[in-house]
Amino acid sequence: MRMAAVIDATVKKPGLEDLTIYRTTASVPFAGRYRLIDFTLSNIVNSNINSVGVFATYPFVSLLDHIGMGKNWDLDRRKDGLYFLPISQKAGGQITVGSFAALEEHMDFFNKSRQDYIVVTTCSTVCQIDYEDMLDAHITSGVDIMEAVSGETGLSNYILKKSLLKELIRTHREKRIISVEDVVKLKKAPYTFGKYEYTGYYAIIDSMESYFQASMDLLEKDKRNELFLSNRPIYTKVKDEPPTRYMPGSHVTQSLIANGSTIEGTVDNSIISRAVSVNQSSRVDHCVIMQKSFIEKNCELSYVIADKDVHIEEGVVLKGTPEKPVVLRKGERVTKEEVR
Amino acid sequence: MKRKIVAMLLAGGQGSRLKSLTYDIAKPAIPFGGKYRIIDFPLSNCVNSEIHTVGVLTQYQPHVLHNYIGLGTPWDLDRRAGGVTMLTPYAGMEGIKWYDGTANAIYQNIKYLTEQDPQYVIILSGDHIYKMNYQTMLDFHIEQNAGATISVIEVPWKDASRFGIMNTDENMQVKEFVEKPAEPESNLASMGVYIFDWAKLKKYLLIDNDNENSSHDFGKDIIPLMLEQGEKMVAYPYKGYWKDVGTVESLWEANMDLLNSNSGLNLNDPDWRIFSSNPQLPPQVVGENGYLQEALINEGCVINGKVEKSIVFQDVEVKEGASLYECVVMNCVKIGSGAKLSRVIIPPDLIIPENFELKEQGDEIVLLTQDLIEEWKGSVGK
Repeated sequence: MRMAAVIDATVKKPGLEDLTIYRTTASVPFAGRYRLIDFTLSNIVNSNINSVGVFATYPFVSLLDHIGMGKNWDLDRRKDGLYFLPISQKAGGQITVGSFAALEEHMDFFNKSRQDYIVVTTCSTVCQIDYEDMLDAHITSGVDIMEAVSGETGLSNYILKKSLLKELIRTHREKRIISVEDVVKLKKAPYTFGKYEYTGYYAIIDSMESYFQASMDLLEKDKRNELFLSNRPIYTKVKDEPPTRYMPGSHVTQSLIANGSTIEGTVDNSIISRAVSVNQSSRVDHCVIMQKSFIEKNCELSYVIADKDVHIEEGVVLKGTPEKPVVLRKGERVTKEEVR
Repeated sequence: MKRKIVAMLLAGGQGSRLKSLTYDIAKPAIPFGGKYRIIDFPLSNCVNSEIHTVGVLTQYQPHVLHNYIGLGTPWDLDRRAGGVTMLTPYAGMEGIKWYDGTANAIYQNIKYLTEQDPQYVIILSGDHIYKMNYQTMLDFHIEQNAGATISVIEVPWKDASRFGIMNTDENMQVKEFVEKPAEPESNLASMGVYIFDWAKLKKYLLIDNDNENSSHDFGKDIIPLMLEQGEKMVAYPYKGYWKDVGTVESLWEANMDLLNSNSGLNLNDPDWRIFSSNPQLPPQVVGENGYLQEALINEGCVINGKVEKSIVFQDVEVKEGASLYECVVMNCVKIGSGAKLSRVIIPPDLIIPENFELKEQGDEIVLLTQDLIEEWKGSVGK
């Protein structure tokens, strides 16, 4: 009851452009059956926070479709719950977290909420953070703004008093400050700053390379077990896909596979989303294949990120590298001729 | 409010031939197909057929079923008007009356049906795996101007004596209903799916209730009574996959049918989804030593062993060196390394010890129990 949360889904990551042409960073698919925002929202509800404002800019249709009224996170409540707060284009497209110009457009969210503390967070950090623990540390330390860090790395998660946040929003123009992240980076006087040390697994997703690396991390048991905890589950929008079907001739190792897929070919070291087809004699190695993508026969893919609804025709060979994976945009159709 | 059609789903049966699987849960709650329960099929058929008012009649071990169905959210049956209603036996001025026969169960809920005020009632059972459009059957019922329509399926002649058989004329009009005939005249078996005009059904339920010699069963009493009274009864020929999963053997077979592309049972049809409660679990993990061949695997599983021709429910772990062949592994089972199982149904939550071995007994599929595991432990001196 003490905390409300702000998810800043207005932040644009230039390096993720291939995946964010049609969606916000928050709704980028990750880990087979999730969107990035699922990790953020789950951390919030697992920390017993029941009031969440999701600030979003265009194109937010996929985000809205995904979170809806917040039912899958038990946030469809009479009191508090999930508030979807779209902001004007003018204030959108920030590159730092907790932009005051964006928050200012929905002062009602802060005015009406009964909580004293605000968590300001983003969707581009994937982690298992406990905000209740962080709040305790914040209160004990007596600082104005607490930032979650892992060693030297800032995780773009902040806790501050609501009264302070409102003051910052009100005075940001005269103080020449842009966002919560900006204030923390500048160590703006007269405020005091503290660090909350987070020790679990985290990934900061701000480029195709980091997206690919974070995906591959999930294939390592230890990292996976730090992210998927049975007492702090990651919730997502449920789909009614049947279990995944492995056909005669399939060969699968070291992979994470979501429901509704049909695997006839070979899959190694890959993340396969819901309702993907990998047909006969095709090989998928070190790839991230998103929802409903269709890989015809005799294809050979390695180090490829295929967005949703990609169709790869028979016999296509695509090879990327860990540093520069081949990225196929949503709905792309790849023919053999094109690759040559 | 007047409704066109209300479904009454009979889910009170024990299914004693399923042995230990139904000690604690009613048959319609039995897990099926890697993520579903049997009752998901008739419930999904209802919503896919645009029937949004469903009464679920429970009696035997109803708790799991009630908890599972809840407000009906997974089937979009959490509605202000209509939706799903759980109908259990209740106490009234005349004392507590258990449901005594399928027709009696409906009779005792005449009040519910009167409140819903439907024109037609469809009676369903929670024991069968099939995908059927009830709306098409209703169209047939209306077109035939029948008092009752009974859905039938052609079964192999050699099996006909195991079913309730409809003897019909060339216009599919029912002449006679025979329960498990020794010498069947027809191979059209009743699927336990009936559509009635509600006014007519109510009339015959009241007559039947006054008959002390009646067993208050649809097949045995109501249908013969209506035939005798000269009502027009038609058989609706259903074509497609349908299976009564009343035995360990048939439950296993129906699961195996999911691995056979020619069986006619397809769960992957986006236009006819089978809805189910979806637990929030991570994607399945296939490890370095995982080997999967013809398998259906659900979310939350961690597969490091060998899985062949098997159905694996959510949250199952198969450790290294373990192997499964033609098994049905229900949710949250842990299979120890080196264990070998063939043609076994493993009920939920069992922990299979390392190097455990069990296979089919002759042709008989084995239903694993904790007792069998203890027995094995004793025999190997562990």
